[in-house]
Formats: sequence, structure tokens, C-alpha cells
Amino acid sequence: MLQLLDAADGRLVGEEDAALAVAKDELVQAVDDGDAVWPSLNLAPYFTFGRLRPLHTNAVIFAFAGNGMFAAIYYSSQRLLKARMFSDLLSNIHFWGWQLIIVAAAVTLPLGFTQGKEYAELEWPIDLAITVVWVVFAVNFFGTLARRRERHLYVALWFYIATIITVAILHIFNNLVIPAGPFKSYSIYAGVQDAFMQWWYGHNAVAFFLTTPFLGLMYYFLPKAADRPVFSYRLSILHFWSLVFLYIWAGPHHLHYTALPAWASTLGMIFSVMLWMPSWGGMINGLLTLRGAWDKVAEDPVLKFFVVAITFYGMSTFEGPMLSVKSVNALSHYTNWNIAHVHGGALGWVGFMVFGMVYWLVPRLYQAPLYSLRLASTHFWISTIGIVLYVVSLWAAGITEGLMWRAFDDTGRLQFPDFVETSVRIAPMYWVRMLGGSLYITGTLIGIYNVYKTWAARPAVYALAEVEVPVPTWRRPRPAASDQRALRPEAEAPAHWHRRWEGLPMVFSVLVGLAVVVASLFEILPTFLIGDNVPRIAAVRPYRPLELYGRDIYIREGCYNCHSQMVRPFVDETVRYGEYSKPGEFVYDHPFQWGSRRIGPDIHREGGKRNHVWHWHHFRDPRATSKGSVMPAYPHLFSDRIDWGEIQDRVDAMAMLGTPYSKAALDDAPGQARAQAEQIAAELAAQGGPTGVADREVIALIAYLQRLGTDITQRAAAEQAAPGGK
Amino acid sequence: MRLSELVSAMSPTQLTEVALLIFVGVFVAVGVRAWRTVPSERERAARLPLDDGEPTGGRR
Ligand code: HEC
Repeated sequence: MLQLLDAADGRLVGEEDAALAVAKDELVQAVDDGDAVWPSLNLAPYFTFGRLRPLHTNAVIFAFAGNGMFAAIYYSSQRLLKARMFSDLLSNIHFWGWQLIIVAAAVTLPLGFTQGKEYAELEWPIDLAITVVWVVFAVNFFGTLARRRERHLYVALWFYIATIITVAILHIFNNLVIPAGPFKSYSIYAGVQDAFMQWWYGHNAVAFFLTTPFLGLMYYFLPKAADRPVFSYRLSILHFWSLVFLYIWAGPHHLHYTALPAWASTLGMIFSVMLWMPSWGGMINGLLTLRGAWDKVAEDPVLKFFVVAITFYGMSTFEGPMLSVKSVNALSHYTNWNIAHVHGGALGWVGFMVFGMVYWLVPRLYQAPLYSLRLASTHFWISTIGIVLYVVSLWAAGITEGLMWRAFDDTGRLQFPDFVETSVRIAPMYWVRMLGGSLYITGTLIGIYNVYKTWAARPAVYALAEVEVPVPTWRRPRPAASDQRALRPEAEAPAHWHRRWEGLPMVFSVLVGLAVVVASLFEILPTFLIGDNVPRIAAVRPYRPLELYGRDIYIREGCYNCHSQMVRPFVDETVRYGEYSKPGEFVYDHPFQWGSRRIGPDIHREGGKRNHVWHWHHFRDPRATSKGSVMPAYPHLFSDRIDWGEIQDRVDAMAMLGTPYSKAALDDAPGQARAQAEQIAAELAAQGGPTGVADREVIALIAYLQRLGTDITQRAAAEQAAPGGK
Repeated sequence: MRLSELVSAMSPTQLTEVALLIFVGVFVAVGVRAWRTVPSERERAARLPLDDGEPTGGRR
């Protein structure tokens, strides 16, 4: 990966990296898409959909958006602050450290090392590395702020500050885990609380990783490219504060109709709808910046990309609030509609902002005219058409699935009781989606070629620009006590409080941090304070050691990427899947596995639905039991053996988190696990399955699946059996 | 009544409501403040990206 040496001040930037990252992500994405249409593309164990999808999302977020954001921040901050970065060493550690993290993600996710929480999959050692690199970045950034020569912090910088602070908070609190091995850990939160933390994180990652830094980018690069100041600076201030204030509350909209308290869900919905207004304020502010400059848009690829990106920002920030409305969400949740929504944001907003920035930077950094304007324009059109096909096909797919899942026929039965019918129906839309994605990749490759040719034509020696920097008159050396008063009158006119804060970036940052923390606490605390808010169900017991091990296989294989474990309280769902899910059923789920997508059916009530031998054949070849299924086969579960030695550590780690394991389990978890495995193997053989397979991983997974969602029915059975029971 | 007593006497829902009110209050204050900035200050701030010593606009 190339690094660009910015001749103006000899600073390292990684734009190229971002462009390459997008190419890589799209490759994963293409394989991903393929997996969904042709199950045979799943190359178990490393390249099944369940392991690739986290790689794809992490690559898009951390590799592509991350590198794009850092390039924007490094480039614009130094110019806005009229100061070189605080430390080149820190810049380099940041750059290389981040690339190493990306490599670590690319290696560990296919290997199945995962925390099992979306966009927070990376295991704890990598999480620690992220924390260190982020702190390095923060020190470097705030050090630069402290040394700046321009007093006023331009609004783009505020967005960067909010990003740095909030991402740190989110990352740390959502990744609190108890390690149970070098690459295995359990979230300290369970069930409802874990879900709450996860989507507080998940949604604010969208806000503060994929939105605020790119708004900063917009507020810097758009005026530059358009050669006119932003339409309304006031609006930009309002835009900033509204996002900081409102976003934090919106997370629960990812959990409508799940086992989350209704007040939290409603709060999330209201704040999400409120977000629509400032977001559109920002979009309008961006588009109106081009007033009187629309003729330039026609010829300048930079502006073309920006205009479409901002339009997609507007679309996504309208669609998001709409999907947050509970009644819409009842249909859209778990469907491809969400996938359409995030791709509008990722490909349209983030992607096009980065491309616009790259086309702006490359000729300037390499001091050579862009190789081909026509190619840039081609990139723009191909990719735009690609996004449209991508998003429209997934809208259609999402609404189709959603409607089919809930459809009843005239006799009052589910119209499409076989889940596979619904996935077969949307397959044609996956083809269109694949075409759209391929167009987008093609555009990106053209862009990379254009950048490469521009780079190749760079001068042998870069001209060094002399930049005049102002002397920071407002920050004079601290005067001796005696002449303090003498200097006083020269100090600036009485400044307003807001200007003072801006002059004091630390205070400003603390305030932003405070706004985020206070809102988070008020939102999250109630769920924790009322730990008993989650009504306990006496019949719900901890997973037995073998089931726990099986659950870890479920997490490792990323089954949650296709299966939810959350039956919502709707008639169609209770008819299709069984009793709706209760909060009390998840109290031992570290981490929760509710999922966010139903490529396959919900399996919270899987226990007892099928016999062992069905599962055995299903995992070996899903098409054998379910014609047309898109689920991958898992041959390795039949050859790989259960690692009995690991089981005790896992049970101990869970016990540390407060799971009430019996003394027997704490003394001899492997023994208990073996006994259960033998029992299941015997039942399997009795059902006509193979014999002598008690030590295979698939047995542990079956043990887990057969346990899933059964505790509450066992209580009902017990109550019926006991005459005195109510 | 001490603050801690007050806080512990409130139900979680009430706590959330109070937080909400504080938020709306601060938010409105910020909004009002933003609207009342001095125009000249605002204009200078808005021009910062254009006056950073780098050429603007057009293509290269
Ligand atoms: C690519 C998405 C995908 C992945 C990944 C996936 N599944 Fe499936 N799964 C499906 C689909 C689609 C079906 C419905 C058709 C079928 O029965 O195969 C299904 C069905 C099932 C069923 C049967 C549900 C019923 O009808 O009773 C079980 C159990 C199951 N999957 C478990 C798993 C487990 C465990 C994993 C991880 C090891 C997993 N699945 C991974 C898509 C997926």
C-alpha cells in the first residue's frame, strides 16, 4: 500500500490505502453476495458467509471509512489549525498500527475468532490494540490543537473532536469482556443489557465513525472545491450540536419489539425521528454551498462526487428515521431493507465523500494534473448507477421478504410456511444487487488506475510550498505576575462564552464528552439499575458445559449473521416460530445472539423442534434436508473434535460473570460435557444416525440447539405435572 | 433533601425524563447562542478553509 508524501509539509497520508481498502472490501462483498446465492461458494471452514460477513463489515468500517477519515483529518486539521501535526512519530504509529489492526482482522475473522457482536467482532487482544492506537491518534490530534496558530476552531474540527472522544467511549464500554483464552472471551453483559450496550455502540458507530468525521470532511473539502464558504455557518453549528445531542439516544431503534423495555424503544424512535431535521439541515447546508457554482459541478469530478454523496446523506438520514418508526420497523426489521439502507450510506455517502476527497487530493499531493478527467467521470457514473441498482433491488427484496413472512392465507394459515420459499423468491433481486456491486467495484478500479497514472506522472522533485503562518498573538507567553495587569487591556475584547470554549479546545472536548456520557448513562443506567428490570424466570438455568461449548461454536461460525434468536410478539411470528421471546430467557447469554437479519429462520425456539439426526444431516448438507436452502454446509464440524480441555476455562469464565454453576460443574465441567455428549450420541444412533461420534463438534452444537428456548416450556410442563402448581 | 436522596427517590423513568429536560434546555441554549453570533465573526470562521494558504476550487 502506497503512502503519499505530502510535499507541502512532509506528512504521511493514507488515501491510497483507503482506495485499496475499498477494492478489497468489495471483493469480500462480492464473495459474500455470491455466498448468499450459491451456497457452494462457501468454502468451509474459513470462507463461509458467517465468517466473511463480519470481515466485510469490519473492512468497510475500519479499513475503508477509517483510513478515509484519517486522511481527511490529517490533511484538513493541519491546514485549519495552521500547524504541523504534533508528532510525526505518533502519526506513523497511528498509520502503521491501524493497518496492522486491519491485517489482524483479516486474519482472525476467517479463523473464527470473534466476540459475536456486530461490528465489535474483533477479539480482546485486537480491541486492546485499537485502544492504544486510538489514544496515540488522540494525543497527536489534541497536541496539534494545543499548538495551533489559528484561534477559532472551524466547525470541521468540532466534528473530529466529537468523533475521537465518542468512539473511544463506545469502543471501551461495548468491549468489556472476560477473557477465557487468548482469542476467546465473554461479554460482561448478558441478554437484554448486552443488546442495549451493543446497539448503543452499533448505532453510535454509525453516527461517530461513519457520519461525523465525514461531515467534517464535507465542511472542509466542499467549500474548498466549490471555492465559496459554507452556505450558513450558523446552520453548521446547529447541525453539530444537534447530532451530538440526539444521536446517542437513538440506538434502541435497532431493538424494536424485542425483549427490550418499551420506554427505551420508544425513546429511541422519537430521537431518531428528531434526527431527521438536523441531518437535512446539514444536507441543505452542503447543497446550498454550491449556489452559483452549479456550472462547476458539471465539469469537476470532485464536486460531482460530493453532490451525490450529500444527496445520499439526505436519503439515508430520511430513511433511517423512517425505519425507526415502530410500525415500519415491524416490517423492515430482519429484512434486506436494512441492507439497502446501510449500502446507501456506505457506498453513497461515505464512499463518494472519500472518492471526491481523493480526486481533490491526488493532483495536489503529487503535483501533477489528474491523469484523466474522462475516467473520473466514468468512475462517477458507473458507480452511481451501481449504487442505484444495488439499493433498489434490496428495497424490493426486503419488502418482499417482510410481506411474505407475515402473509396469512384465507384459511388463517401462514401463506409461506416454508422459509425457503421466501429466500428463493428474492434470489433474482440478489442478481441485480450483484450487478450493482460489480459496477461499483469497476468504478473503483477505474479510480485506482486514474490515481496510479497521476502518481506515475509526478515530478522527480516536489516543489516545496512556502506557507506563511500567522503568529498566534492570542496565545502569548504567560506574563509575570507583576505585569499581568499591564497586558490585560490588549487582550481581546470580551469574548462570548462559546468563543471562549472554542479557544479552549480541552474544555470544549470535555463538554462534548460530557454530553455523550451523560446521555448514555441516563439511557443505559435504568436497564442496569433495575437488573431486576429483567424479570427472572426461575426455570431458566445456565447452559450446561457442553451446550456452552456448542454455543461458542455457534458464535465462532457467525450463525447470528443469518439467524435471529428473537421471536417478536406478532401473530405471524408466534405461529411460525413459537412463543415470543421473554427478556428473562437471556440472562445467561454472554454475549446475546439476537441477530439483526433473517437470511434463515429465527431459531430461538429450535430446541426439540427437530430430532438430532435431522440436524446431523442438515449441517452436513442443508440442501439434503431443505431443498433450495442457502445455508452453508459445515463439513469441519464432523471432523473436528471437541476440545474437552478448554471447557473448564469457559465455565469458570462464565462463573466469574455471575452465572450460577453448580459445584459439580465447577469441579468437573469436561466430565459433565462428556456425559451429555455420550447421551446425545446415543440418541442420535437410536434415531438411525451414525455411532461413535460423541467427540465431534457438531454434537456440542446440536446440544446447544436442542436446549435453545426450551426452558420456559419445561417450566410449564413441570407445573402441569405438579398438582399443587398454579 | 440531599441530591443523592432526591436521585435515589426517583424512578428510572423519572430520571430519564429529567435528563431529557436538561438536554432540551441546553440544546435550546446552544441554538439561541449559535443564532446570535456576530456576523463578522461568523464570516471569518466560514472562510477558514478558503484562507489556509492552499489554492481553492477548479481542477488541476
Ligand atoms: C447464509 C446464511 C446462513 C448461515 C450462515 C447459517 N444458516 Fe442456518 N439456515 C439458513 C437458512 C436459509 C435456513 C432455512 C433452510 C434450511 O432449513 O436449511 C436455515 C436453517 C437452519 C436451521 C433449521 C431451522 C428450522 O427450520 O428448524 C437450523 C437449526 C440452523 N439453520 C442452524 C444454523 C447454525 C447453527 C448455523 C451456524 C453454524 C447456521 N444455521 C448458519 C441460513 C443460514
